[in-house]
Amino acid sequence: MRLRAAAVATLLLVTGCDAPTEPEEPIACATGSATGQGSSAQTNAVNAWIKAYQIACPDSSIEYNSTGSGAGVRAFLSGTGDFAGTDTALGAADEQRAAARCGTGPAMYLPLVIGPIALAHNVAGIEDLRLSPPTIAKIFSGKVTAWNDKAITGDNPGTALPATKIRVVHRSDGSGTTANFLRYLTAAAPSDWPHGAGSEWPLPGGLGQRGSHRVTDAIARTDGAIGYVESSYARVTDLAVVQVGTSDGSFARPTGHDAARTIASARVSDDLRLDIDHAAAAGGAYPIVQVTYELVCRNTIPETARSFLIYAASEAGQAAAERAGYAALPETLRNRVAQAIAGLR
Amino acid sequence: MDYRDGVPATITRRDTPIRLRLLAALTAAAAVVLLLALTLVMISVQDRVRVIGREAAPRAATAADLYFALSDLDAQVTRILLAGDSDELAGSRVDALGAYRDRGYQADHDLQSFLSSGAGEAEQATALRLMDSLAVYRQRVGQALAAQATVAPTRAGAVAPDALGYYTQATDLLHLRLLPDAEQLRRHSQSRLDEAYAQKSATETTGVTVAVLLGGTLVVALVHLQVWLTRRFRRTWNPALVAATALGLLLPLAATIVLQAQSRLLADGRDRGLGPYLALSELRALGYDAAADTGRYLISAKLGYYRDDFVAKSACLTGDPACRPAAGQSRSDHETVTVAASTRGGLPQLAGTGATDRWAAYRTVHDRILGLADAGRTDEAVRQLTGIRRGDAAFDFAYFDAAVAAATEARERDFDRALRVAELTLTGWSLLPGVILTVVLALIPLAVRPRLAEYR
Repeated sequence: MRLRAAAVATLLLVTGCDAPTEPEEPIACATGSATGQGSSAQTNAVNAWIKAYQIACPDSSIEYNSTGSGAGVRAFLSGTGDFAGTDTALGAADEQRAAARCGTGPAMYLPLVIGPIALAHNVAGIEDLRLSPPTIAKIFSGKVTAWNDKAITGDNPGTALPATKIRVVHRSDGSGTTANFLRYLTAAAPSDWPHGAGSEWPLPGGLGQRGSHRVTDAIARTDGAIGYVESSYARVTDLAVVQVGTSDGSFARPTGHDAARTIASARVSDDLRLDIDHAAAAGGAYPIVQVTYELVCRNTIPETARSFLIYAASEAGQAAAERAGYAALPETLRNRVAQAIAGLR
Repeated sequence: MDYRDGVPATITRRDTPIRLRLLAALTAAAAVVLLLALTLVMISVQDRVRVIGREAAPRAATAADLYFALSDLDAQVTRILLAGDSDELAGSRVDALGAYRDRGYQADHDLQSFLSSGAGEAEQATALRLMDSLAVYRQRVGQALAAQATVAPTRAGAVAPDALGYYTQATDLLHLRLLPDAEQLRRHSQSRLDEAYAQKSATETTGVTVAVLLGGTLVVALVHLQVWLTRRFRRTWNPALVAATALGLLLPLAATIVLQAQSRLLADGRDRGLGPYLALSELRALGYDAAADTGRYLISAKLGYYRDDFVAKSACLTGDPACRPAAGQSRSDHETVTVAASTRGGLPQLAGTGATDRWAAYRTVHDRILGLADAGRTDEAVRQLTGIRRGDAAFDFAYFDAAVAAATEARERDFDRALRVAELTLTGWSLLPGVILTVVLALIPLAVRPRLAEYR
């Protein structure tokens, strides 16, 4: 009996010792609550972080109000909330107000949520559609009005395109998505897009819709439609998306991976603002991207907000954002952001 | 006349080489029979373990996963309808649309896996029926969403009558046809798993019997040869035969230990891993379905059925005796599954008090939301249903689900570990009897050759 027990023990010792599984990076929890408000474009990512953080940290609670960037920043400048989500950098006057709000120095930008903006379309018989920047600009400015226009057939040699009328769907409300798309058109096709940038759609006509969900619905029910939406909206509704031309003549799909490549090549300022060169995207990088920042005080951030943002910038946090339909930050940028948050006091 | 052992020495000398050869041949034959039998048994046990680990258990897990995917599919449709055209809930709507799409793919994938995993005719027919019903379900959901989209912008929680009509058809189809069929697949695969365990157990019994009987025969033959040689040739010990006897003893003993060790490992894996894992998967699916009842109550304009359904499902989750049918009362297939998991003790036994407490917290939010809806405060009810602050339904359910998911994954890991160790324990045993008994077969002629040489 003793021999048998010894033999079993030996067998289990030899065969039963598994390599320990890699533990998931633990969240460094803080106690208390934190609040933020602002950009609706990042709401789903922030909500995914809040759920994961609150589950891991039973003694803390985080609240984020999706008020839009403008209202979120205004509230932050007036002293509300520990952070604000914004898709654009502050103007000089607001920078001063932010410094005054923070008391001990300027506010800091943390680029935490990125993602591709897709050009979703509904064209009979077409799944894979390629469009170069000038053609995109011509379509959205109304210079190209039919799907079999030579500008489009030139981008899609060998593809039979229908004579259907093009119906442009755009946001009717001010939005970061519009701002990023217009910034792209201005940079990538300056001669075909003289209408400038901004968060409001600059041209009359087209189907204006309030909110990305209504833009998506409008494209889905309109023959010949094309519009711009966060790629997650196109993905969940199974809309066909455009492969966008880049500076080296290649075409890229709106995937998180390819959007992150464009972000990775952006110039990053000392205060972590990104300067994206949409026109230079090449080698498979997807050029129409959206970045939203968390605006925080550098030296007076509550510990719970800091702990929450550390999680958001971690690999696990970025993976959660990816699952929520965004793209993960490129590793180099993620490390810079993580270091910046670690330095917040 | 010279006598040896009472036999005239001349006769003994003439007879000895023949007897020696005969005894050696019989011993070698016993070794060959043991080799063949033990190798066959070990290969057979390895195959049974493979069937359990690579076929029966994954099929049972697939059936549990299918049940979960279908339950959540309908829960997501409830969220989509609840969000309506609301700007505030646009994020929730796109999240639900994504989850609906992913769960649909998950269900399709599970059905495809089921059909390609050697399922029997009855299971294949059930899986095909499920695919057909799933197509109809998706059609009804599409009609509900289209009907909702054609009316003027609706506030959160308000569902157009046509949309509600199609949704009622869809959710009835899911609960009355899809889930019972999924439960039938689950029971089929559970039976197959039980059969696989029973067959493995029978093979193990055969293996131990073979090891003891044939191993004993070989050892007796070796000892008899040793004793006979000792007496006939007046020698003390034949080293080669001693070594062969030791190996002959070691092999059946080791085989018996290995068979019993892997049997215990897999039995523990089933009792502590696979069984609780499957039951927890059912409870997790039930939790999603119950939580969807909170939303269904709102979009159905406070239909009492969903209030009662939540209470019944909650009882099953917590292992409450109220979950079990009273004497003479029959249950639908769908309800049977929850009863089966509930009789294992429900959440308290399977996932611990943490998960149970979190469910109790969700139940409190559920009651509060129904109270708000009954008081006509639908907007506040929807806000509390979709909010992710502590004390809001969406967060409290995610908090509960995280606890159940962690317990489910831990049980799955327990079974995977047990299976891996059992497989490792058996590694090499299709060859080991052959190697050891070849050595034994080589030692027998080595032992008798010097004695036979004395007669040349």
